[in-house]
Amino acid sequence: MGESAVEFDGVTYAYPGGEAVVRDVTLRVERGEVLGILGPNGGGKSTLLKLMLGLLAPDAGTIRVMGESAVEARRGGMVGYVPQLSGVNRRFPVSVRQAVVLSAGVHGREREGERVDRALELVGMAAYGRAPIGRLSGGQFQRVQIARALAVEPSVLVLDEPTVGIDVAGQQRFAALIERANRELGVTVLLVSHDVRAIASGARRCDRVACLSRTVHFHDAPDGLTPQVLADVFRHDIEGVFGGVHVEAHRAEDCPGDHAHGHDDEGGCC
Amino acid sequence: MLSMLEILSAGAAVALMGGVLSVFVVTKRLAFVGQGVSHAAFGGFGLAVFMGLSAGTLGFYGVVLASCVVAAWGIAGIGASKKVDDDSAIGIVLVAAMSVGALLVYVRSRQPNPGIIPSWEEFLFGSVLFVSGAEAIGAWVVCAAVCGVVWWVRRKALLWAMDEEGARALGVRTGLVRALMLTLLAVAIVVSMRLVGVVLATALLILPGAIALRVSERLRVVVVVSIVSALVGTVGGLWMSLERDLLPGPSVVVVLVGMLLVAAGLRGVWPERSLDVSVDEGVQSG
Repeated sequence: MGESAVEFDGVTYAYPGGEAVVRDVTLRVERGEVLGILGPNGGGKSTLLKLMLGLLAPDAGTIRVMGESAVEARRGGMVGYVPQLSGVNRRFPVSVRQAVVLSAGVHGREREGERVDRALELVGMAAYGRAPIGRLSGGQFQRVQIARALAVEPSVLVLDEPTVGIDVAGQQRFAALIERANRELGVTVLLVSHDVRAIASGARRCDRVACLSRTVHFHDAPDGLTPQVLADVFRHDIEGVFGGVHVEAHRAEDCPGDHAHGHDDEGGCC
Repeated sequence: MLSMLEILSAGAAVALMGGVLSVFVVTKRLAFVGQGVSHAAFGGFGLAVFMGLSAGTLGFYGVVLASCVVAAWGIAGIGASKKVDDDSAIGIVLVAAMSVGALLVYVRSRQPNPGIIPSWEEFLFGSVLFVSGAEAIGAWVVCAAVCGVVWWVRRKALLWAMDEEGARALGVRTGLVRALMLTLLAVAIVVSMRLVGVVLATALLILPGAIALRVSERLRVVVVVSIVSALVGTVGGLWMSLERDLLPGPSVVVVLVGMLLVAAGLRGVWPERSLDVSVDEGVQSG
């Protein structure tokens, strides 16, 4: 087996004064793979990405990105990152093309124009090159963000909750966009979401899915993603909605049948 | 005493510097940071007076500049620690610097031979009539240095101003960029304060950029309009001050505020154009 694109090995992280939000995570992402990271809000997904970008240092364990440390990989332009909440000042007086150029030139200006044109064409925003970024819709702006990340020609593209707030048609276009980026550029993609549909269905399903709720509960092809696994990963969310229900980790011998299961207060299957 | 032309020339240097930095101050929302740093000059003023340094000397400027830079880095450091929010950090530095400055001047004034203590009014609102030839030349030298540094780091600075988190994720050392830009801000404030006064120095760092952003969404146009606004406002305000024997600082600010109102009014009657791009089916919605 060749060198992985991303390797987490026994990674644990706790914010100062808090309990571990990422616990003993071991995960291997192959080169050229599209990996979906699925988990509930507060399950440690965004923290895992910040660790991967070297923006946080793990309390235990190691992270390698394209064979380099997380910080070296980020500073070397190996990772393109599209955050969950954009910190972009939408009133900043730049055009779509200028916004992409500013990102593209961070690690050198070699073939800058070509990289920018290709990224804009790939996300379907080439026609909007002269438009001010403040005039774009949410979906258009999200594509510009992806173009900014792709313009540095990263080896790994990381997208944190990329389809939040985008309608169904927009989500389908987004899936096609990821398919193109993965196929034409050969970029490894990490797609983080709390929405199972964004990861395990649609035009471009992920090659594999890692379910994360503080630790990795499942890491396999999306076909193995059963309701039981989802119930286990989203246990706290389900318990929060159905007050008296306690969802336990799945044990196949407990309850036969392909349905999400937990136990009510009397201990019966539900 | 300088001729009117020399005074206006010194004002133009300050305006050029302010016009360039103003784009960053307004888009990065550093206006209150600028206010905090400019008030930190009071601390430096008090310390320089306490040390017996004469106003207008290199030593005097050095002490004031040092206090502004320390304040700028202090604000950035406290804000970055996340233990205190940015607004509170600026407020703390602002009142601390002013209080220390006032106390030091008071202590100096009670000594047996306090020497000549510059008036607060000159410091607050500017003393353009007392600007020396060396100070006018110094303003142009500093202006050239500030503009040169901004040009050198323009891409990283623009990326930082547009999207600090994204810049950091791309590998830009945003802490360094922030420290550099705040230092330039401090330098511009110290150089401006002799002409327009310490309180109103920040006006030169806010109003030109605010005017430019009312006029355009194009970066090059915004930069040019910001510089031209700063030049027209400063030279016009100083000329008005000299002609009518008015305080220079308030005169400059009044002209700039007038220009801002005109720009805002023009924006009202001259609405933004719609997105003039060719829209194909693939990008029509979303």
